[in-house]
Amino acid sequence: MNVTLNHYLVVSVLLFCLGLFGVLARRNVLVIYMSLELMLNAANLALVAFSRFNNNLNGQVMVFFIITVAAAEVAVGLSLIVALYRKRQTAHVEDLTSLKL
Amino acid sequence: MNYSLLLVEILVAVLGLGVLLADLWIPAEHRRKLGYAAAAGLTLIFFVGLSDVTETSYAFTAPGARTGMYVFDSLSVFFKEFFLLAGIIVMLLSVAFSDRFTTGVSEFFSLTLFALLGMLFAASANDFVLMFAALELITITFVVLNSYQRNRAASIEAGVKYLILGALASAIMVFGIALVFGSANTTNFNEIFLAQKQLAGNPVFLAGLAMVLGGLAFKVAAVPFQVWAPDVYQGSPAPATAFLAVGSKAAGFVLLLRVLFGVVPQITAQWNHLLVVIAALTILYGSLCAIPQRSLKRLMGYSSIANAGYLLIGFASVSKAGAAGVLFYLGGYLFTVLATFTVLCVILRHTDSDDISSLAGLGQRSPVLAGVLSLSMVSLAGIPPLAGFFGKFLLLKSIVMLGVRDPAYYCLLAVALLGVVISLYYYFGVIKAVYWGGGAVDLSPIPLDWPVRISLTVCVLGMFWLGVFPDHVVKLSTPAVEVLKPEAPASLHEKGR
Repeated sequence: MNVTLNHYLVVSVLLFCLGLFGVLARRNVLVIYMSLELMLNAANLALVAFSRFNNNLNGQVMVFFIITVAAAEVAVGLSLIVALYRKRQTAHVEDLTSLKL
Repeated sequence: MNYSLLLVEILVAVLGLGVLLADLWIPAEHRRKLGYAAAAGLTLIFFVGLSDVTETSYAFTAPGARTGMYVFDSLSVFFKEFFLLAGIIVMLLSVAFSDRFTTGVSEFFSLTLFALLGMLFAASANDFVLMFAALELITITFVVLNSYQRNRAASIEAGVKYLILGALASAIMVFGIALVFGSANTTNFNEIFLAQKQLAGNPVFLAGLAMVLGGLAFKVAAVPFQVWAPDVYQGSPAPATAFLAVGSKAAGFVLLLRVLFGVVPQITAQWNHLLVVIAALTILYGSLCAIPQRSLKRLMGYSSIANAGYLLIGFASVSKAGAAGVLFYLGGYLFTVLATFTVLCVILRHTDSDDISSLAGLGQRSPVLAGVLSLSMVSLAGIPPLAGFFGKFLLLKSIVMLGVRDPAYYCLLAVALLGVVISLYYYFGVIKAVYWGGGAVDLSPIPLDWPVRISLTVCVLGMFWLGVFPDHVVKLSTPAVEVLKPEAPASLHEKGR
């Protein structure tokens, strides 16, 4: 079977939707965070596929930007989740209700 | 490559790293002075760093290409001045606030400078890659700034909420950029502008563009990406909230201006009703939800959503007049919101809660603070002769003539006026609590130190300057939007003839 651009894009969209579903449906902050990374990687896959099939290397460069940003985001995010756990002994979004009307 | 175009960014980056390094040698009790040094440095950059723009020039150009990732034009200079001014005032505010941080005082200053750096790059972004990098620099630094008081549960919670929703918005935007890149085969704004006629019928491109706009809507807190604003505003430290309300929002707006009016004006013209609906919903959501609020910071969160709605009116008008109105309104918003947060920052030190009822007796405790807070509420409500009035006037003026040809604009006008009437109620609730609030126990006077005095003076002068002599800023904002190329929607053409 010949793998075409559309195959990559379908996988990428599936990954993106899976990530989005995880963010919306899961209740643990860490799992939500993992789902967000999945969404970023869906974009990476789409960029690499477009890059390869359009013969344009700019997309690959963009992927490096995204990987770097994701790494920074993970560093900040995980330390924040640790701080949250220390303060509240919980990592569940239902317990984040101290800010309201 | 011409590095002199990036002079301001380089200086701010050096200043930020300098503050971080200086922290190693300066003893803990003197670290607050680094904030003064940073504010002085920013003032210097504000006055000498920006040269006048003669023509649009590009940096980070590919070999042989005529455009680049980074653009230096009148619009970017207007916003660089805006961000630097906001940065100076926020820095003074951070110094006044910094004694409440147990550790990491100089890191707070340096993170504020890096967020400012991201905004400066956002003002000059001419490529989706630079736009993404600049926005992420802003988002990630703000996650840290918002959760800076890590002993307070509210601050951590604000940080986590901003982190998750911010990362979600970035993920959506990145996927949008991937689709735009796939369909246009470039990420450069000018090249997409030239190809927009072919791209306008490409569903992949349109989906990508819509996702990018979703990411930007998160930054400006527009419906349907507005839910984070009240929580994050309430929980974050006051200087971080102030910078979030002014800087981060303006960074979103400058990118919206560039993308909607500079990259895809033809598609924007087709989407004008969508913009009308989003503007109207944002105004209604912000105004209606602000009514029952008791926390002043949370009230400012909803007020910021409502203001994003007013600013979107300028986009819905799809005209240069609307874009110039956006610039003017943001100018007035800067002084008004920073004045409010400076007052809040001082009051929060003396009262434990940010509840509106705890403002009682402020009129006697500190007539200056009470006066400035009332002035900024009056300006936010849009009453002449203050800055907020003229900004709203310019924005509404840009759509009032369009209503004749397209009744949707009359509906938007009605919603905007309704929003103004509702806002009178909740803004005047604050003034009422300041002067006529009962039950004040502590009537000791509140001392003001000089950085607070400076920033209050600058903000009040700015509010009056924009309100009484709007010509000066209109003369700045009108040429600034000349680089944009909005196209009037087809529905407005046909019936006019």
